Amino acid sequence: MNPLALLRRAYEWGPVLFGIGFVAPLITQSLDAASASAPMGLSNIQFGLAIGLMTGLIAKARGSWV
Amino acid sequence: MNAAVELQTKVRAPRETELLREEKAIARKYHSRVPWEMVAWGLGNFCLWLAVWPLTLSGVLPLWAGFLLSTFCVAVCYLPSHEAQHSIIGVKGSRLRWLNELVGHVSTIPLVLPYRVAWITHRQHHGHANDPDLDPDYGNKGDTWWRSLWNGIKARQPGANSAYRTIAKQSDDPKIQRALVEAAVLTTTYYVILTTLAWSGHALEAALLWWLPRHIGTAYITLFLSWAPHHPMVEQGRYRDTRAWRSPVGTILSMGMEYHLVHHLYQKIPLFQTGPAFRELRHVLEQRGYRNDGL
Repeated sequence: MNPLALLRRAYEWGPVLFGIGFVAPLITQSLDAASASAPMGLSNIQFGLAIGLMTGLIAKARGSWV
Repeated sequence: MNAAVELQTKVRAPRETELLREEKAIARKYHSRVPWEMVAWGLGNFCLWLAVWPLTLSGVLPLWAGFLLSTFCVAVCYLPSHEAQHSIIGVKGSRLRWLNELVGHVSTIPLVLPYRVAWITHRQHHGHANDPDLDPDYGNKGDTWWRSLWNGIKARQPGANSAYRTIAKQSDDPKIQRALVEAAVLTTTYYVILTTLAWSGHALEAALLWWLPRHIGTAYITLFLSWAPHHPMVEQGRYRDTRAWRSPVGTILSMGMEYHLVHHLYQKIPLFQTGPAFRELRHVLEQRGYRNDGL
């Protein structure tokens, strides 16, 4: 697969990658900075990844974050 | 009846030619110099935005101050590139062409706006202002400013049928392929940097120094450069597609866009000259039936 085709494929999954790559650590570090704990016995990083992945999948399915 | 129309046309034609000649003579006085202030603005603003990063990451600058500074830098970064898009700093083949291209490419990096795509789509905007099918800025139309902002947010969503994307792909500009590759490189680099920062423990800094300022800056630029000067985006034509308008936040906070009409008439007039040019052109524009909302 050439680099441009690979990039196109990556952008198709853009919201999911953004959810894992950016939203997840952002939630985790926001909780850490606020000295808050994630609910349901999850660690902050587990919670961040769950929310990041879930919102990313929803955004991909809907084609929109808002 | 036909004779009357013919007579009217005969009388009007020389008057229109005379008006156009006068208009051009006035405009010519304002587009003869290099706008060095825009060069300093573009490159200086980019350096300031770059400096915010090490200053914030090293703790010299608190994150909230870094956020405010970065948001300011992103909000004001477009206009120097806009001058470059119109080759105002240096036309093709001139001694300062390299500077024109440098300012064009560099100044919009904080906004993650690829220069060549901006240039190609902006030319289409000038050629087809307010045309629902051909103006790439038409998506910013809205009855109110907040509706325009909301439309802009929706247009930037991953699945949105962005007019910019469509028009850039359909363009017959010979440089379109190169422009799209540059756009892909810039956008991908932006996301790689955001992700790398986020997973190395700097997610809050990445969010507040780039991601959020970029969204705020894009909204601000769209509102003042696209929506306000063309509102309500229903008319087309040289003297009707853009308006002179009185901004409720003043000339500086609206980035001189009260005089955007002059830019649409004479694209080579630098931003800082559009106000004086408007004042001198005013009596001609009045006879042309231009749109003036309170200026």
